[in-house]
Amino acid sequence: MSKIQHDRTHHAKMATGIGDPQCFRGKAGTPKFKEGDRVRIKDLPDIFYTRTMVYTRGAVGTVAKLVYESPAAEDEAWDNTDKPEWFYSVVFKQKELWPEYSDLYANDTLETEFPERYLESA
Amino acid sequence: MSDHDHKPAPMVDEISDFEILEMAVRELAIEKGLFSADDHRRWTEYVHTLGPLPAARLVAKAWLDPEYKKLAVADGVEASKAVGVDWVTSPPTQFGTPSDYCNLRVLEDTPKVKHVVVCTLCSCYPRPILGQSPEWYRTPNYRRRLVRWPRQVLAEFGLQLPTDMEIRVADSNQKTRYIVMPVRPEGTEGWTEDQLAEIVTRDCLIGVAVPKPGVTANTKRPVHPAVHPVHHDHNH
Repeated sequence: MSKIQHDRTHHAKMATGIGDPQCFRGKAGTPKFKEGDRVRIKDLPDIFYTRTMVYTRGAVGTVAKLVYESPAAEDEAWDNTDKPEWFYSVVFKQKELWPEYSDLYANDTLETEFPERYLESA
Repeated sequence: MSDHDHKPAPMVDEISDFEILEMAVRELAIEKGLFSADDHRRWTEYVHTLGPLPAARLVAKAWLDPEYKKLAVADGVEASKAVGVDWVTSPPTQFGTPSDYCNLRVLEDTPKVKHVVVCTLCSCYPRPILGQSPEWYRTPNYRRRLVRWPRQVLAEFGLQLPTDMEIRVADSNQKTRYIVMPVRPEGTEGWTEDQLAEIVTRDCLIGVAVPKPGVTANTKRPVHPAVHPVHHDHNH
């Protein structure tokens, strides 16, 4: 939803003296996933803005940590901060992301974060 | 009639002519033995480092104090206060958000796990505790290749890791910023916090180098003579 009176400093004011993402703490409700859960990254439409990288879409990883609550970048880019959600740090085997990754280095991993909307149980 | 031959200009110039020239000369010099890839990495780090890094002190403190190490790994923002950095009230922008998010994770290396940090989105970097990011960190080259070929990219920095060591790439494309806490190197037994902080360089904190007494240093940077110096015979 667009703001009728758009205040460009709204975001900064909200976080001043508290921090971002700390200013959204306690606003996302009950997390859907927990540490150790296996999750698949959904390939959602991203017409305008996203921080969910293409190389992670469709891949299956493990939730390493619930990191903070925040609006998803897709919303926050438009100053829509009404619906914060849980963010998860997910670890992938490199082989899961890059099929040609050498079997010699089967232990190698990559860790990155996602808003809850991008995750489904795997 | 539509112009089928037209190709849109790329949005990002992937590499300039000068960069190609620099790479060609650098690689020839390394092949020729004038300096090593590790020498080059050290020099590049030197010219890009602006000042003493609070993050280096954080790592040194954590090496000496197991309780502080636990705090650093659990809550990087809280642990930063002990080295004079309050993410909420004093980021370099003096404007808390949104350019510097206030969530820091300290990634603890072990003898079997080596972390390295990248932002594939563009250039997310823990500026309040690590200063300005080096130029190479922001290049499409590093961002695109580190996630996919981490071992090869680290080797270009002069860091070769054993096959059985897990490399864990951290891609900071949301609100968390990362620093790496390397394993305390051998040969530092009995060292003070000041001595330890001196060997934890910026590259060690990003994860493209490991601290090593006599090699990595934040102070008293040595000038390394060329292995095979060039003699200017034409001057005689």
